[in-house]
Amino acid sequence: MEELLKLLPAFGEAMLVTLGVSLAGAAIGLVVGFALNALRLAVSAFNLLYQLYIWLIRGTPFLAQLMVIYFGLPVIGLRLSAIEASILSLGLYSAAYFAELFRSAWGSVPTGQVESARVHGLSRGQTFWHIQAPQALAFALPLLGNQVILTIKESAVTSIITVPELTMAAGRIVSTTFSYVLPYALLVLSYWLLTMAVAMTAEYLGRRATRYLRG
Amino acid sequence: MTDFSSRLALYWPALLDGALTTLWLCAASMVLGFLIGVAIHLLCNGRSHLGRAFARVYVSFFRGTPVLAQLMLLFYLPSALNIDVSPLVAAGAALALNSAAYQSQILRSGFAGIAKGQLEAASVFSIGKWKTLLHIQIPQVLRLTSPALISELIDVIKVSAVVSVISITDLMRVSQQLVAQTYRPLEVYLVSAVFYLALTSLLVLLGKYLEHRWKEHA
Repeated sequence: MEELLKLLPAFGEAMLVTLGVSLAGAAIGLVVGFALNALRLAVSAFNLLYQLYIWLIRGTPFLAQLMVIYFGLPVIGLRLSAIEASILSLGLYSAAYFAELFRSAWGSVPTGQVESARVHGLSRGQTFWHIQAPQALAFALPLLGNQVILTIKESAVTSIITVPELTMAAGRIVSTTFSYVLPYALLVLSYWLLTMAVAMTAEYLGRRATRYLRG
Repeated sequence: MTDFSSRLALYWPALLDGALTTLWLCAASMVLGFLIGVAIHLLCNGRSHLGRAFARVYVSFFRGTPVLAQLMLLFYLPSALNIDVSPLVAAGAALALNSAAYQSQILRSGFAGIAKGQLEAASVFSIGKWKTLLHIQIPQVLRLTSPALISELIDVIKVSAVVSVISITDLMRVSQQLVAQTYRPLEVYLVSAVFYLALTSLLVLLGKYLEHRWKEHA
């Protein structure tokens, strides 16, 4: 018990790093993913580029992408700190998944609604923002929560390039105290709690956002 | 540019070797994960309360924590108990146990897709529970869920890059070794990403082919 209490401050601190890195990454991913989907809808020539991006990001491991950005980019003169590289990689990585989520969410809005909005004289921008976006976002909310969880789990990989997050902290404690069981048990428990908390938040938000559907 | 092609000739055999390690490690974990996944699925629908609770916790645990953390736990925990576990066994176990949680969810829809009448007919013909599972349910489940299982295998391949941290010479580890030799991180990691891309893209094509074939037969 005493040993556990000694570990808690380090784990608390590391958990904040994990949360910060993954939420910052997910935020970038959300914005870039949303933009990718909007561009795909607005400019048909962009579609091929969109598909290429999705294929490249989803076809390779996150660790490989992180390595290219952290170790590869300095070769062409772009040197990022471990945390910056991690946030950027997580952002670019999750953007592909978020973009696909938005694509399916936009597909869930019946085309008839879009057509009738256009017939009634709403511009394409108005249709996008006032007809498609609110319904699509309500549809996507539970899936978005899922993707945030995936981003948190993927952030464990950033320990490999020495970001002081949970996995790194646990490894450091193990290598200084030589006790394995407690730090690693605490490590998986921390992630488990974190992801369950996010899942519950997403479910709550999802229920609130789709309240209008249930009357 | 001729420089690059001669360096590529140097990378190529090592990366191919690593890619093969990645591929067979993932394939083996996938098969083992399928068997555990079936067991988890059966527990989930079993009569025992304890079994159902265990299956729920199992799935939630393995889907709620990072593979890297699971790998650390499986690699270092046994050595704390003075059991020697080789990195390869730890990596295979971590990938299999993790994939089993996801596969049990895929299998759920597969098992649900088999008409109840078949099971009733099997029991009327006094075919035992295990024989029914092995000869009637699993072959159909495999066919029903093959596209989802292929995309799970793709996920396993991508996730397997983390086993490089416990010094398994998979595609990622080989790339790191090449970087240490050549000091050319950008091109080595890009070429290794192309290898991963080739592996996953081939599997996507295989999944499409299977889906197409399955539709023709249905």
